Amino acid sequence: MKQKWVLVVLLLALTLTACSKAGSNGGEASSGSSPSAGNSASASNSGALKVVLLIPGTLGDKSFFDAANAGLTKVKQELGAETKVIEMGTDQTKWEPTFNDVAGQDWDVIISGGSQITELLNATAEQHPDKTFINYDTDIQETAANVHAYSYATNEVSFLTGAVAALTSTSGMPNANPDKLIGFVGGMDIPGINAFLVGYIEGAKYAVPDIKVAISYAGDFANPGKGKELSLLQYNSGADLIFNVAGGTGLGVFEAAKEKKRYAIGVDSDQAAMMTGTDADKASLIVTSAIKKIDEVILSAVTKVKDGSLEMGKLEVVGIKENGVGLAENSIYSNVVPEDIRAKVEEIKTKLTSGEIKVDNAMGMDTAQIDEIRNSVKP
Amino acid sequence: MNELLNIVFSTDFAFSILRVATPILFAALGALISNKAGIVNIGLEGIMLVSALTGVVVSAQTGSAWVGLAGAVLAGLLIAAILGFFTLKFRTHIILGGVAVNMFASGGTVFILYLVSGDKGASTSLKSEVLPNVRLPLVEDIPVLGPILSGHHLLTYVALLSVVAMYYLLKRMPLGLRIRSVGENPHAAQSVGVRVNRVQFTALLLSGLFASLGGAYMSMGYLSLFSRDMTAGRGWIGIAAEAVGRSTTVGTFLSSLVFGAADALANALQILKIPSELVATTPYVTTVVGLTVYAIAETRLKKRKARRHSPSDS
Repeated sequence: MKQKWVLVVLLLALTLTACSKAGSNGGEASSGSSPSAGNSASASNSGALKVVLLIPGTLGDKSFFDAANAGLTKVKQELGAETKVIEMGTDQTKWEPTFNDVAGQDWDVIISGGSQITELLNATAEQHPDKTFINYDTDIQETAANVHAYSYATNEVSFLTGAVAALTSTSGMPNANPDKLIGFVGGMDIPGINAFLVGYIEGAKYAVPDIKVAISYAGDFANPGKGKELSLLQYNSGADLIFNVAGGTGLGVFEAAKEKKRYAIGVDSDQAAMMTGTDADKASLIVTSAIKKIDEVILSAVTKVKDGSLEMGKLEVVGIKENGVGLAENSIYSNVVPEDIRAKVEEIKTKLTSGEIKVDNAMGMDTAQIDEIRNSVKP
Repeated sequence: MNELLNIVFSTDFAFSILRVATPILFAALGALISNKAGIVNIGLEGIMLVSALTGVVVSAQTGSAWVGLAGAVLAGLLIAAILGFFTLKFRTHIILGGVAVNMFASGGTVFILYLVSGDKGASTSLKSEVLPNVRLPLVEDIPVLGPILSGHHLLTYVALLSVVAMYYLLKRMPLGLRIRSVGENPHAAQSVGVRVNRVQFTALLLSGLFASLGGAYMSMGYLSLFSRDMTAGRGWIGIAAEAVGRSTTVGTFLSSLVFGAADALANALQILKIPSELVATTPYVTTVVGLTVYAIAETRLKKRKARRHSPSDS
């Protein structure tokens, strides 16, 4: 009996320590990945703009949330603002109370992002008309009068990756084959993913008109095993490069690329950068990544808030021209991709900026239209 | 159509079935041994996930894939032991215990990954090792069969050998007999001096062993990294495969292969001009067909039994 009590007390103690750890991790800020953004700025700049970032999830995703956090760090460094990051966790029921708490405090600018959070953000903004809200990533048109929302022209950056892919396929690069075939592995057959796909196909066709594109959907964003199987099939059927837009599933695409010694393109963040230290062989096959420059967008938004030029109550689509999206032009891109291809891509980029090239957006298309585009390039 | 036949009747495709089926087979064997002992271990998915992470972390720390494998197996055994401790000693309901293991694994692996690597998504910043692929001498020279059977991951062969070992264990070894007797009627087993708890605990540990090998396969060969929730339901499919295989070793093996083949086929069909929505249904259609076959067989068996026992027949 005595032993049992000791066990119970031990278990309780364990639970408490675990809770306190988790609590400090969630409530405070990103203590691990970037301490500078977490702590509130010193009292010396008390007249500074006060900016808070609410993350609907946790940091460390090497993608959206980390990019937003990096943006806030830039805001702090370049604008001298007082900043704070709050990780709200994946439990959605905790988002609303956090929003209300933060809106009630003396923050000037409240930043959050994602389609899931949009409705809540707008509702909170309506209750607090004196505050400025920024939604850094959404597809929803409706915005409250004191919200500025951003959407990314993923179709434009995919147009560039399509051009890189098609030119790679027809180039004399060491791991390219004569087949004019490139691949695409998507997480799910949904508009957000198809926006990438349609841009990719149009860009590939613009660069090499008779290119073929093998298209697979994993139906899952957290199944790298499936991603690998789908990619192996595409590589085996002659694709020399695969563009992954599949979250965690996409990690399997890189595994397949390494096994078959073929190329791949990353998405959302510079995916080669995260593995150069541990697996240089694999990283060197990821020629570039299609990135959303969330950090730049947040910085420019807060800068505009400061000088009062941010237009509120509006959803702004940022593309190549606005520096909202772009290719990851890292050392792998400049070393692995030949100069003539890069020059061609640069030329396309200029045309996208000037509006000479218009890329279709799958967001407004119906299934039949997307099917037609897909079938036009099926091998 | 020709293209389809080319894909399905290629050695690559047959090879991929074994590759895809391996984690499912491990999970199914884990489900089989615990079910035989009368305990439904639904924590397989969680055990796989924990082992997958442990394999990556330990191999990255030690630089040895073998130590990583040992770590993965130990982690699997530990989780199974904890599950056994609570369900057999403290009489927690086994389903609750299994649910707890799965929830703990999903969140706990991310937490530990974050502590070790500072990432919450994937272990790309850890330099982990993988177990080798094995080329079978002599077998690889056989035309057609050679390229299908040779060159697989080490743990794929371990899975195949495990099927043989499981068959032998359940049919021929005293422990297997005890496990089956405990599963069929624990009171009867107890009355002849079998220590029910100990036998069930052993079965649960074996179940954890198989699941941990499945997890190690996922992160140390099939893929060379851990990512959050990477097992993606393979543990559950293993439990389904065991049920469709009617809790027999051979049946479980074959149904695991069928599930693997369905998945491989769904992947291969995407290359063709077939609507992706249709292709995505393949694994589910296979499950429904499997369940139908199971139901028909079961009903026939019942009818036959009823006829045997009904007095009108005699």
